Amino acid sequence: MGLEYVRISPGFERYMPKDYVDLVNYGPFGRQVDVQQLGQFKELVEEHPMCAGCFMAYFIRIFYAALPNPEDTIVIGTAGCARLALSQAAVPFVYGNYGDTNAVASGLKRALTIRFPDKVKDVVVIAGDGGLIDIGFGMTMHSWFRREKFTTIMVDNEVYGNTGGQESGMSPKGVQLKMAPKGKQFDKINAVELAKVAGCVYVAKLAPTNPKRIARTIRRAILAARHFGPTFIHAYTSCNIEYSIPTDKVLEDARKREKQDFAFYEWMTDEVREYFEEIEKQSQEVKV
Amino acid sequence: MYYVAEVNESECAKYNCKQCVLFCPEPNTLMYHSTKHTAWVNYSRCKGCAICVYVCSDLLKRNCIQMVMMTAGD
Repeated sequence: MGLEYVRISPGFERYMPKDYVDLVNYGPFGRQVDVQQLGQFKELVEEHPMCAGCFMAYFIRIFYAALPNPEDTIVIGTAGCARLALSQAAVPFVYGNYGDTNAVASGLKRALTIRFPDKVKDVVVIAGDGGLIDIGFGMTMHSWFRREKFTTIMVDNEVYGNTGGQESGMSPKGVQLKMAPKGKQFDKINAVELAKVAGCVYVAKLAPTNPKRIARTIRRAILAARHFGPTFIHAYTSCNIEYSIPTDKVLEDARKREKQDFAFYEWMTDEVREYFEEIEKQSQEVKV
Repeated sequence: MYYVAEVNESECAKYNCKQCVLFCPEPNTLMYHSTKHTAWVNYSRCKGCAICVYVCSDLLKRNCIQMVMMTAGD
């Protein structure tokens, strides 16, 4: 998109919707906001139709606050719950067909690199467990094999949430769902190890219990994707409807799962680690 | 009738913690007033999930947020 497209032409301020004027004046465009400042600036994502207490919506809220360069970012999503909020944000959103998000992102990233050789354009895929590991499995894996330079974020709610609760490849073994009455017969797919084997340079797994850590992980994944290759984040974002979690217990559930099988995990190649150490050293020097 | 969160502003201003704002899943809903140092709720956007009540009462034991019923005119 670019910063000049965000700004309102002189004389048109009074005709623009209030939310848009607020976004330009108090939003994160053109300046670096910190996730700790949430609630004190106008957020990129607007009101959306996701369920009350949905932690996928929470993850997406933190995601938009953590973007290092929102005016030069394109988000790609697919069918599933996540697109309900992703499409309500002031960041261009491309709706891929079910399963082809990473193929679309590959083409888009290559085209943007050719069209804007002197600028950095970030491409981020956010899709659910169905879109990336079940139906889009082939295209996801092949984008990693080709070492395409964009970030893939899986918001894993462990179920097909908005089609009535079918089991997905990421549902835990033995879990009983509305459309899996016998209980799931197979293990949960280990997406993190798959990503490492397939050639991702930065892989992380987290449960959304610490906003600062989520923001740092997302920022790192995007920065690593700019220079080195594919990056992958596996985030646990519970479905409180299909898993019957009372809305006020959603955070408690995330904390419980973090202790069980979603402990924070981060893996990166040596060159990425050196790059981050260099960046952190520079930012400390700036502070001093 | 809506079920929304309400912040007790005089209680909340004592702590300056902001944790509820960081854990609300809805954007631009639970906001933070930087001069009054208190959280406040945009009632028309609140979906009433009560995660902020869990954070404030169960995790931090500060009891500054209650869920209240509201009619459209309020």
